[in-house]
Amino acid sequence: MSTTELNTTLTQLQSSPPPSPQKIASLLSTAKRQLLTLNALLPTPSTSPQLLGLARATLETGALLSIRLQDPDAFTRYFQQLLPFYELPPSSFKPAGGGQRSKVTGLYLLLLLTKGDYAGFHTVLEGLEVEMGGSTGAGLEEDKFIGYPVKLERWLMEGSYDRVWGATKREGVPGEEFGVFSEVLIGTIRSEIASCSEKAYPSLPIANAKNLLFLESEGGVVEFAQGRGWVVQDGRIYFPLQQGDGVRSEKEILVASGQVIENTIGYARELETIV
Amino acid sequence: MPGERRNLRSSKETSSSTNGEEPRANSQSSSSTKDKPVPTRATSLKGKTLSAKKSAGKEGAEDKPHTNGTEPVENGINGTEDVDMVDDGPEKVKIGTNKEGEDEMTVVVPPPKSSKLSGQPNKDEEGDIAMENTDKSDSVSSNIDPKAKAVADIKANFILLERAVAQFDARFTLRVLRSISSIRKHLSPDLLAQVITQTYPSTSFVAKTLLAALGEENASFESLDVSSEMDIDTQAREKSQTTGKPTTAPRDVLPEVDTYLSILVQIHLYDTKATEFGAKFSSNLVERLRTLNRRTLDALSARVYYYYSLFFEQLAPLPPSPMASVVSIRPHLLAALRTSVLRKDQDTRATVTTLLLRNYLSTSHITQADLLISHSEFPAAASNNQIARYLYYLGRIRAIQLSYTEAHEHLIGATRKSPATPSAGGFYQAASKLLVVVELLMGDIPDRAIFRQPSLEHAMEPYLSLVQAVRVGKIEGFLNVVHTHNALFRRDGTYTLILRLRQNVIKTGIRMMSLSYAKISLRDICMKLDLESEQSAEYIVAKAIRDGVIEASIDHEHGFMKSKELGDVYATREPGEAFHDRIRACLGLHDESVKAMRYPMNQHRLELKNAQEARERERELAKDIVEGEMDDDDASGDFEGM
Repeated sequence: MSTTELNTTLTQLQSSPPPSPQKIASLLSTAKRQLLTLNALLPTPSTSPQLLGLARATLETGALLSIRLQDPDAFTRYFQQLLPFYELPPSSFKPAGGGQRSKVTGLYLLLLLTKGDYAGFHTVLEGLEVEMGGSTGAGLEEDKFIGYPVKLERWLMEGSYDRVWGATKREGVPGEEFGVFSEVLIGTIRSEIASCSEKAYPSLPIANAKNLLFLESEGGVVEFAQGRGWVVQDGRIYFPLQQGDGVRSEKEILVASGQVIENTIGYARELETIV
Repeated sequence: MPGERRNLRSSKETSSSTNGEEPRANSQSSSSTKDKPVPTRATSLKGKTLSAKKSAGKEGAEDKPHTNGTEPVENGINGTEDVDMVDDGPEKVKIGTNKEGEDEMTVVVPPPKSSKLSGQPNKDEEGDIAMENTDKSDSVSSNIDPKAKAVADIKANFILLERAVAQFDARFTLRVLRSISSIRKHLSPDLLAQVITQTYPSTSFVAKTLLAALGEENASFESLDVSSEMDIDTQAREKSQTTGKPTTAPRDVLPEVDTYLSILVQIHLYDTKATEFGAKFSSNLVERLRTLNRRTLDALSARVYYYYSLFFEQLAPLPPSPMASVVSIRPHLLAALRTSVLRKDQDTRATVTTLLLRNYLSTSHITQADLLISHSEFPAAASNNQIARYLYYLGRIRAIQLSYTEAHEHLIGATRKSPATPSAGGFYQAASKLLVVVELLMGDIPDRAIFRQPSLEHAMEPYLSLVQAVRVGKIEGFLNVVHTHNALFRRDGTYTLILRLRQNVIKTGIRMMSLSYAKISLRDICMKLDLESEQSAEYIVAKAIRDGVIEASIDHEHGFMKSKELGDVYATREPGEAFHDRIRACLGLHDESVKAMRYPMNQHRLELKNAQEARERERELAKDIVEGEMDDDDASGDFEGM
């Protein structure tokens, strides 16, 4: 088994008019099988630099293609397989350099963000920060691919949804693969804005709501409003009041008194054990 | 009346007889504990089992007085009891002779018992003093310069270690480990070589490896050593014969002593920055330790692992890079963790867990660290310092994972448990820094008093300006602080956490505005917070309202934010919750202090015995009372007669 076969599979995968999805899937599985027979699926100290570079390129291609096929699970798998390769210093690969690391990592971060896995997002980010801060001292934001999800996260957290909206437009997206997530992101921010609006406004004209929610038409607004159970009346949206204040406070008192009783009984028991 | 008095007296007797029983039970229990380690030791020793067993037995017998000597509290109790008994006895006999004959019988019985018993401890004490005298004379004779004193200290520690093995008591080992810091200053290759050559027979493999470890730096010394080894050895033997100290008699040296000396060598290599060689030496040492299964080694092996990992941390590819040499010891540490769990070795388990966490965090493998935490259980009985370390790492991981409340809890624990000695100041500073950042992330403003502590004042300065920036709620000021202290925050590993503070700054700014204005236009908010557009401001305010940061509503058409009036805080549940938190903390403190109390071994057996005896006595007493009713009449008659 030589590396030539793998090379041909790889060039086939990377050919400019991308092959059909079925073709890609079968090609990827052959590529992985070839990697396995070459014993290069996981980097070992004895693996040759050429093979390491090739294996990494194969996995990266697989990762990017699975994003295009909108298969996040497969992408996550490829990313996990790539991690040990990324831990090796760039000099140990034959075509020296970091490969497409930042692109793949940036995509992974974006995936975590759209899934709402903020803990995972920050965990990966922390690792990158320590690693890169040690070597270059430059921030992650300078990197085109990694800086994108980092900025998005920051805007999402502080509430600058208009900037997120701007970033998901064509010119703001750093790469073709990143565009896949734009749709998901818009959905995320729209529901965020909706939940904020419910609390923040007593009522809102439909025209303004259209702008706020980044919707195309007023018809879309009405549809969206009905989907969330808002009342549309005389060209205004009325948000349902959060349960009557009186009822809620009564319920709260009940909960509170239960809590107080529980606490006091706890103290009594503890006191008894002490005495 | 007289009946009462008699009862009183008899109860006194019973109390005296309980006293009489106690020492005996004590001696029994102590002998039983003493017996235990002997077989384990014998089995673990290779070859010479017979002689070893014999010597162990001998040692156990000799060591017994030491318990009394080194545990002044127990000794004191025993002593006072003895005195009490002596005092009580004759008194009662006197009374007894004055009064009834029957009582006399019961009273007379205890004195011989007590005298027999009190005699034993007395003898022990004498033996103890004698032993201590020899110790002292030894140390005094060699107390000329600090070097000789260090040698004497190390040797004194051997005795402690032997005692720890014989009595199966980890406290002696801990005391030995505590003395390391004072010995550390005087460590030098020739000093250690001197100790080694005096302790081991020349054929010992361990001695050779230890000497080789030291000799690497001082090759000429090694040859000198080997040639003079025999001399020194014989000299030492002669000396031991003259002083009549049986501990230095030729026999196998305990693995505890081996390990102790190895730790000293490790420390010496570490202090002289012989990192690479130290790493090699430690690896071999760890390999050897893994073959030994002795509970008395636990505390020592924990220390060995500590230095082992410390050496590797300083080896060539330094931690932040994923190729760091610390990565290579992970399998060994994990294996050590597994073994220690199986052997119920609390010390090693705690130490290795914290070392692994430190290891993972140094290369920012946070996911692995998190998995380690979720799959392993930290021993609750670990030493305070290890718990503090563990809590710190746990707090760090949780902070990265955005569970700030949990992180806050752990970090509070870490700062409270951190040792107060100045040498541990670094840990306290690191934990406090992280705590301040986490508090900020939670939306709290840390107490000003934290920054005033003398041990923190200087180190926390950048964090103080950070807190001030967040408190004011100005994005510009915040970014300035982050920019100026960029390198420092990165070094402290708080940089990413601090970057997350941006949104908190904005939130604080909005809160300030909502508190000070009843109504404010979105344009003003935008200008005050240095935001880019009015639209952004609207979204941000809406999010702040949704997140419960402020109580307000937005009027979109007129573009302003209207604050709602704030209710009375004391009408809410908040004060009650704060109160509850404090009560819980106090109760937790109580529980912990109860748990931290130490009870002598086998005390429960003693109590059981006492309880049984008490029951028997009660029965006797009941019988006495039944029989004594007639006596009562007699006695009263007597009394009236008088």
